[in-house]
Amino acid sequence: MSDQAVSEVDTPPPAAEPPREARRGPARLVRKAAWLALLVVLLALPLYLDAAWLKAGQYMMIGAVGAIGLTLVVGQAGQLSLAHAFFLLAGGTAYTVLSGPTGDERVAGFGLDPGLSLLGAVVVAALLGLAFAPVAGRLRGIYLGVASLALVFLGLYFGQSAEELTGGTSTGRTPASFSLFGFPFTNDGPEISLLGVPIRQAERMWYLFLLLTVLAFVIARGAVRGRVGRSWRAVRDNEAAAAVMGVSVLRAKAGAFAVSSAYGGLAGAMTVLWFDILKPDESEFGTYGINVSIAYLAMVIIGGLGSVPGALVGALIVNGLPQVLALYSADLGWFSGTGDGALTPILVSSFVYGAAIVLVVLFEPGGLAAIGRRLTRLRRQPPEES
Amino acid sequence: MKRTHLAAALVAVLVLSACSTKAGDSGSSGSDSSGVKTGKGVTATEVTLGVMTDKSGVFKNLGLGVTQGNELWAKDFNAAGGVCGRQVKLEEVDHGYKADTAKTLYPQIEPKVLGFVQLLGSPVVAALKQNLASDKTTAAPASWSSELLDNPYVMIVGTTYDLEIIDGLSYLQEQGLVKDGDTIGHIYIDGEYGKNGLRGSQFYAKKHSLTLKEVKITSTDSDLTNVVTGLKGAGVKAIVLTTTPTQTGSTVGANKALGLNVPVLGNNPTFDPALLKSPAAGALDKLTIVASSVPFSADLPKAKDVAAKYKAAYKETPNGGVPYGYAVGEVWGAVLKKACDNKDLTREGIAAALKQTTSASTDNLVAALDFSKPGTPATRQVYAATPDASAEGGVKYVKPLFEAPEAKEYVAPHQK
Repeated sequence: MSDQAVSEVDTPPPAAEPPREARRGPARLVRKAAWLALLVVLLALPLYLDAAWLKAGQYMMIGAVGAIGLTLVVGQAGQLSLAHAFFLLAGGTAYTVLSGPTGDERVAGFGLDPGLSLLGAVVVAALLGLAFAPVAGRLRGIYLGVASLALVFLGLYFGQSAEELTGGTSTGRTPASFSLFGFPFTNDGPEISLLGVPIRQAERMWYLFLLLTVLAFVIARGAVRGRVGRSWRAVRDNEAAAAVMGVSVLRAKAGAFAVSSAYGGLAGAMTVLWFDILKPDESEFGTYGINVSIAYLAMVIIGGLGSVPGALVGALIVNGLPQVLALYSADLGWFSGTGDGALTPILVSSFVYGAAIVLVVLFEPGGLAAIGRRLTRLRRQPPEES
Repeated sequence: MKRTHLAAALVAVLVLSACSTKAGDSGSSGSDSSGVKTGKGVTATEVTLGVMTDKSGVFKNLGLGVTQGNELWAKDFNAAGGVCGRQVKLEEVDHGYKADTAKTLYPQIEPKVLGFVQLLGSPVVAALKQNLASDKTTAAPASWSSELLDNPYVMIVGTTYDLEIIDGLSYLQEQGLVKDGDTIGHIYIDGEYGKNGLRGSQFYAKKHSLTLKEVKITSTDSDLTNVVTGLKGAGVKAIVLTTTPTQTGSTVGANKALGLNVPVLGNNPTFDPALLKSPAAGALDKLTIVASSVPFSADLPKAKDVAAKYKAAYKETPNGGVPYGYAVGEVWGAVLKKACDNKDLTREGIAAALKQTTSASTDNLVAALDFSKPGTPATRQVYAATPDASAEGGVKYVKPLFEAPEAKEYVAPHQK
């Protein structure tokens, strides 16, 4: 799979940005309206969905934040990174340690405000990404992928041995529940209700995660469309040409890695909040293992390398499908078989996302983003043509 | 063209707002005509218990066995009249040994159940720990780490890993295989399971001034020859294992091949009858297994009864999960009956009844259990057994249920 990813990086897909004319005039307004409508729907969902569905939705948002970060570094800056799981662990640990209570004899904590700790987690992850920049600046393609994979194993080792920080593999540790300016994102605090729906932990966390996802999305789009994004793409397409044009190659590469790590860190802090526990993995497969790095790469490839909205859709498929299928099948009694060879939701979703990767790589290397672009163009053009 | 988009978006919003919101659907609670208080998971005719199991992940065989054990128990329990005039119903979901799926499925299943008769997988139990506490749902995890006991709603059916090892080491010493002052090795998987077992060796080593060589491995390691070589160099007189069965096979194989030939002690999860057909079969004679629950074909009346019922009802190859699943059901049955006597079938009522359960009997499928002291393991007894290919179930008991004096003194991590 990494081979395919590398060839992706070597021959980048068509520019991830929408064509120029699409951003002018009425088309632009339509786009804005569509995004706005999506946001309204997402804001209204907690009033209709049960806690289980909200939980699944939050998990997709974690995937979305992480995938946006990865698509920037892999798709926009052309650096294959398999280290995303490490930055998830780093961010999660940083949040838990910074917000953890002081004076606990078993684990370290700084007792900081959770909001500040979340910011701290992002900064810590970004700094770690920056520390990896000398390596990222020297290696390319599969070599960089392998080097970055080493971070995941470092994470596994440190997660297990730094028990003061992570709580150790046998128990883990509980992160401080989130609160912002004194408002708790738990069942405590003021009783709020909206249209008769009590806004409790599940709903509050939904809004928190939605806010973080929207922020992540808007910042990433800004970066992609601005000077930073142009310098990333210039470096991706031809380092020599980029240097001639006055782009500092090393700086652009380091910057992309740091930004992507920051996103990973945020996704990690969200993961810890979502699970209500920080528990380092017992083997290389787990919440912060290779499987997670690969899942994020899958989201980015399915969505279309370099496309920010594509990363959202990729996260929806990779992180969302197993959850949604599991919920549906429990509701409807699908796939209730047991034993060897039984079809279960988890098996089905593994097949679906495996098949999605193969199909995308074979038939549409630009990913779902390219399909989306083609669809919107088709619908826009017929009137003018006929 | 612009209009269609806008219209579509608007329609979506309208459709959503036209459906009624989820307001006003809260759990019912109250008392029935005979004065029994009820809450979530209990109706006038049914008591629903949850099963969160693994039917598709790495532990699907064990998960299936435990689930079928649960089902057999529910059938027997209902045939015997149920509890408080209600029948037990099981609500089963498959999380595929994935904590994230379990975390999402939990809010879906939680409002429907009174408690959980099965919660499989240590990552799953860890992720749901906070939920169990805040929803006050009593759950029986298929994990025996005494670290879990800080949660009063966790009901561990069996002896915890640390106590299994203490009892086992005491048995080895009683047999003259280990003496005070010896050096022993402990190979453990870094994690909830292995580390909890290690606590046991550490306690015992301190008590008997043994030098303990700790070797940390991960659950995916398969060849332990180098580890055993290292232990041989350290001059160990015995090797303790909290590992997977495959790793047990590798250890005993290396023990023999390297000419070390020291006794090897493993707890319940280290042995699988399949080892008797593996290349390590010839080296298993040095292995002693300590466990608190019996294998599928144990020579006990109750185990035989369960085995016969199993063969009539299912066609899969059974494993040790079946009698365990049945035994957990039996304990739940005892707790439910106690709660019924107290006229309180709410979750609080179950938690209270659990604390009053001082001698839940499973007809020796598991040692007798005492749940009255939160934070303290419910039993400290184990069987000792050795692998024996000729015996049904692959093991031969060498010592019936016993509790070592050191185990009595041991203070579990959350014991008060």
